[in-house]
This record gives sequence, C-alpha cells and structure tokens, in this order.
Amino acid sequence: MNFIKRGLLSVVRKKGKSIILFAVIFVLGNLIAGAISIQQATKSVENTIKTKLGSVATVEFDYESADKTGEFDFSNMTFLSVDQIKKIGEQPAVKYYDYSTTAYSSSKTVKRYEVEDAAIMGGMNQFQVKGIHYAPVLDFAEGKGKIVDGRIFNQEEIDKDQNVAIISDKLAEKNNLHVGDTMVFQTEVYAAEFSENGQLEVTDTRDFVLEIVGIFEQTAAKKEDNKDNKKEKDVQKMFMDTEYLNTIYTSAGVVNAENDFSSEAFLKANPELSEKDVPNDPMYTPIYVLKSPEDIETFKTDIKDLMPKNYIVKTTADEYDSIAAPIKSMSKLSSYVLIVSVIAAVLIIGLVVLLFLRDRKHELGIYLSLGERKGKVLGQVMLEVLIVSIVGITLSVFSGNYLARGVSDTLLQSQTEETSTNEQMFSSMGSYALQTDVTTEDVAEAYQVKLDSNYVLLFYGIGLGAIFLSTAIPLIYIVRLNPKKIMM
Amino acid sequence: MAILETKNVNYYYQDGDQRRYILKDTSVSFEKGKFYTILGQSGSGKTTFLSLISALDQPKEGEILYNNENIKQIGYEKYRRNDIGIIFQSYNLVPYLTAVENVLVPMSITDNSLPTDVKTVAYNLLDYIGLGKSKADRLVTMLSGGEQQRVAIARALATNVEIILADEPTGNLDEEMEQEIVTIFKKLAHEHDKCVIVVTHSNEIAQQSDQTFYLSKGSLVPHE
Ligand SMILES: Nc1ncnc2c1ncn2[C@@H]1O[C@H](COP(=O)(O)OP(=O)(O)OP(=O)(O)O)[C@@H](O)[C@H]1O
Ligand SMILES: [Mg+2]
Repeated sequence: MNFIKRGLLSVVRKKGKSIILFAVIFVLGNLIAGAISIQQATKSVENTIKTKLGSVATVEFDYESADKTGEFDFSNMTFLSVDQIKKIGEQPAVKYYDYSTTAYSSSKTVKRYEVEDAAIMGGMNQFQVKGIHYAPVLDFAEGKGKIVDGRIFNQEEIDKDQNVAIISDKLAEKNNLHVGDTMVFQTEVYAAEFSENGQLEVTDTRDFVLEIVGIFEQTAAKKEDNKDNKKEKDVQKMFMDTEYLNTIYTSAGVVNAENDFSSEAFLKANPELSEKDVPNDPMYTPIYVLKSPEDIETFKTDIKDLMPKNYIVKTTADEYDSIAAPIKSMSKLSSYVLIVSVIAAVLIIGLVVLLFLRDRKHELGIYLSLGERKGKVLGQVMLEVLIVSIVGITLSVFSGNYLARGVSDTLLQSQTEETSTNEQMFSSMGSYALQTDVTTEDVAEAYQVKLDSNYVLLFYGIGLGAIFLSTAIPLIYIVRLNPKKIMM
Repeated sequence: MAILETKNVNYYYQDGDQRRYILKDTSVSFEKGKFYTILGQSGSGKTTFLSLISALDQPKEGEILYNNENIKQIGYEKYRRNDIGIIFQSYNLVPYLTAVENVLVPMSITDNSLPTDVKTVAYNLLDYIGLGKSKADRLVTMLSGGEQQRVAIARALATNVEIILADEPTGNLDEEMEQEIVTIFKKLAHEHDKCVIVVTHSNEIAQQSDQTFYLSKGSLVPHE
C-alpha cells in the first residue's frame, strides 16, 4: 500500500471530493483552453494577413500633424525631392523601390474596359497613365499582375523617357491591341472655373503616343462571392479592379512631360495665377518594398533624418491595425481572460486542495507517524490532484476549443459589423499608395480556431503549470504538519 | 539487556518566560519480552513521555537509546519506520482503506525485510488479532471501536518490530474488549518476545503487567 496505490484509491473511493476538484478544474480549464485557442487563432491570422499585406512602406506628407492649428501655410510646404527618395531607397532594409507619377489622359481611339453592367464611369473615357522609375514594374514584382505577352520595360527605356507602355490583357482585348501597336492619348487642360452650363471646358490639348511592349494580366486572388452581405464591398472592389485594368504603365519621363505641359498651359490660360499656385515639380509617391516585415521598425528609425519636415512613414503594417481591429480586440480580450483565469485557477485550486488537506490532516499525520517520508506524502497529494487534473484538462482541451469556436464566431461577427462601417468611413484616410484589397472579411476568413498539437501542448503546459503552482501552498502545509499534535 | 533506554531526559513546555517541566532527569530502561504499563494522573505527562520514546517529539535534554544507539542518530523518521509500532487511543486508521489495506500501509513504508507475500501476512495478522477475512476486507469506518483498535494493533505489528507503544489503547472500549486487548499485549510480550509499553489509567491493566511505572512531578518511578 505505497503512496501511489493510496493516491489512486483515495481518488476512486472519495468520489465526492474528486468530483468537486474535477468540476473546479474543468470549468477553469475551459476558460484557459478557450483563451489559448483564441490567442493562437488570432496569432495565426496576424501572420497570414501580415504576409498577405507584405512589407511595403511609403513616405508621405502628414497633413494632420502639420496642420494641427489650422494655420499651416501650405505654400511653404517642402516636397520630397528625388534625391531624398533615392537616399531612402538605398537603405539596407529596402528590397526595391519605385516612385511614380500619374496623369489622367483621354483617348479618341482607345476605349476603356468596363465590366459588363457597370455604367459607373458613364462617358468619361479616361485612363490612369502611371509613369514609373523601376523598370521591372513594382506592381508585377509584388505579384499584383504578371506579363502574359511581350515584356517588361528595360532600364534604358525608363532612363531615356521613352514612350513605351504596358497595358492589361482586358484593355488590349477590348481594343484589339497587340504588342508593337501604338496608342494615341490626349492630355487635356481644363479651365479653372466651371462654365455657365456647369462643365469644365477644355482649354488646351495635345497628343502623345505610346507603343505597347507588354501586356499584363491581373493576378489578385479572385474570390467567390458566397455571401449576400458582401454586395457593397463587391462594388468597391469592382471599381478598383476596373481602374487597375485601365492603368497604362509607362516611363516617368513621359508623364512628367505631359504634366509639365498641363501646368504651363494652365498658367498661360490663367495669367492671374503665379507659378507658386501651380507647382510644376513632379509630386512623387515613393513605394519602398522592404525585405521582410521585421525590417519595418528599423526602416522607420533609419530614415527619420532623411525625410523633410512633417513627413511620416506609412506601411502596410499600419493597414493591419485597421483591418484587423476585431482580431486585435479579441486577442486582447483573450489574453486578459487567460491571465485572469490562470491566476484564478492557481488560487482557487490551491484553496480547494488546502481545504481538502485540512480535512485529511489525520490521515497525513498517520503516514508521518508511521515514518513515511514527507516527500512521499507530498507525492501522494500531488498524484491525486494530478490524476483529477489530467482528466479535467484533457476534457477541457476539446470542450474549451469547441467553446472558443462558438464564442469567437459571435464576437467576430459583431465586431466585424462594427468595424466595416468604420472602415468605410476611414478608408479614404489610409495611404492611397499602399491600398490593398485585404479586407476585414479576409481577416474573418483567415481566422480559424484550430485543434492542433501546438495548442494542445501549450494548454497542457499552462494547465499543469498552474496545477503545480497551486499545489505549492498545500505543500507548505504538509511540510509543517506535526504528527504529535495531530495524533496524541 | 535493555532494548530501549532513556538517559537524563528533560522535557518542558515554555510558559511565558517560565519553563514548566514535565519530565526531569528521567532515566528508565525497557527490555524485550516484558509488558510495561505507565500510570499517572491526568496531565502528569504520560503522553509526553510516550511521544518522546516514539520519536514524535524530541527531548529538550538527555538521550533516548534504542539498542544502545541514540535515536537521534538513527533518525527519528527512520526509527518510527523500522523500529517501533504505535497504537493510539483514537485508533487513527486511514478511513478510505479497508482493514487489511491499513495493515499494508506501514509494510510499504518500512525498510525492514518482510515476507514477499505481504497480503497473506496482513490477513494472518488480522486473523491472529481476531478479525476474520470478511471483516478484514471491510472499510475500517464500518468496524466497531474494538475492531478498529485490533486493526491498529495489527498495523503496529505488521513491520515486525520489537517495540510496541500504546497510549491508552482501551480508553474508548468496554471492559470485556479491554481485557481481550490486554490479553493480546501479554501474548505479544511473553510469546513473541516483544517489548510492550502501554500508557493507561486502569489499575487492572497495570496489575497484569510485568512492571508498572508511576509518573508524578516529572519523574518516572517503578511501582512496588
Ligand atoms: N503543547 C503544549 N503546550 C503547553 N503545555 C502542554 C502542551 N501539551 C501538553 N501540555 C501540558 O503538559 C502536561 C502533560 O500533558 P500530557 O498530555 O503528557 O499528559 P497525560 O499524562 O497524557 O494526561 P492524560 O492522562 O489526560 O492524557 C499537561 O499539563 C498539559 O497541559
Ligand atoms: Mg495522555
């Protein structure tokens, strides 16, 4: 009848106590298991989404902080120079970078590609002409699109401001365009004010010609719309896709020349305006693709002194904060629940075990009076608690996980509804240059409570750790037991 | 030759800054094959004395020798485990174990070599003390007081020790049962060569013992 046998018999024969201890451990175990499940799920979402978002940064003028008082003189604003853009681009954290400039041009011969029933852009046959510096095209390097015919630009074409173009397969198909064909676009200069019939008159115009060297295909993941409540999002996404498919990539020099012409012609037509009112310098939005998401922080600190006043770094990681707000709040909530329930478990289980031990004072005194080593008496108590705990913990591995699914479904749903409305209001505030098509819905989809070995091991670790901690108090009690006082 | 001996043992309780002596310079010795009783008024210190020779407490001064070795040297826990068996007034059995399981407890604790078939030994012991197989397999909470004390005696004997110590073992039993238990003690001393030391209030029991000590004012004096 050694201490192990005694422990086993004690658990089996004193069913009432075993059941009480089991119930306590099971309830607390469910809390802990649920919290860990949610934690793990939120962490894996963070990883998935952050990889999806990538590690892209841009440097922007920070209107909010510059104009805090509302008295900032924007004519004194310093611009990001090409030199500064290049210096920042030479940072070790940068994989590659581009700075582009955009013109909106129309065409008499090339027709916009539109999704069948979309009459959104009714009448306006305008194209976003994107002048770039990075010859392999950042969008393609980042997997937003890929060349399906022809080729990307070469550095010489970019450096020499050649009239080369890459267009989308959809646009090519619609206009029956092929590699080697040329397209004619018009740069239109509008009047400064609306005319009497409510239209902006075109005051000047000139043509420019682009030769197609490559055709790209959009590669952004096409998602099935399985839910009706996604309608609104779909319209927004469709609009963005359409814009992208009507984008024409060319060298930055071409766009700069057109923009120069525009502002000069505008100044000529409006002699009362000075050059200061119509900035002539190209306003570039640099895009820096970093080597890895971990580089974001170093990048931010490294370039602090390279940026002009009032400029800030925006990264796709910032985007994560707004997209994943529901996940973040769940992660926070679950870590609170985890901490509180571990502390509660240690205290409550400790107290329950202590109460039971006081009840068994006599029995423990008997063992000690018979010359049993204190370590073995302790061992028996630990064993009893462990047997019950392992049963309780093992059952709560599954039930806690199951519970977490239910709880996070409800939480996520209510949180997503809340933030989607917010998100729509604020989406214009995010950096346009870093726009991603990763949405709160993607986050919700990526969120999955899993029952994997990681979770099981972590839970057993934390659970058993808490049990051992909680038996520390009773341990002191046993060490201090005086058999003479108890027995005689 | 003495198996158990106390040499100038002092014991006191600290009462404020006063020492209240319970035992003063106590030197007695006990031999194998004898049944001893210790008498004394309530509060005279009988239980205290027993707790010292059973190593549940330590003397403030002096030493207790087992086979001429100080039990402090042997180690109190080890001494309790291997050299003595104790019987208490309130039987002190493990409530969720059966009678035979209670007897098996010290057998798993002791370092003494025991027959391999400990279970048979335990059943035989209980049978010898007067508890048949059906009662031996009962939870001890379902036995009468007398039966429970028999289990306690069997437990004290289970580790094959030479010294049996008992503190008022029949205090909760009727006279008939008391006599049966005393008979067992006599048999243990005389037929099995044990040294049996029993603290009691009963003169009848004392009269049946080989030697009685009277505890009074801190000293143990042999009676008659
Ligand atoms: N922990 C203690 N602190 C102080 N005094 C104590 C303590 N334990 C016992 N005493 C005192 O020591 C004296 C001896 O006690 P002990 O229990 O040895 O007496 P006893 O002879 O066994 O009495 P009884 O016949 O009633 O069992 C008593 O006066 C008691 O009050
Ligand atoms: Mg007493």
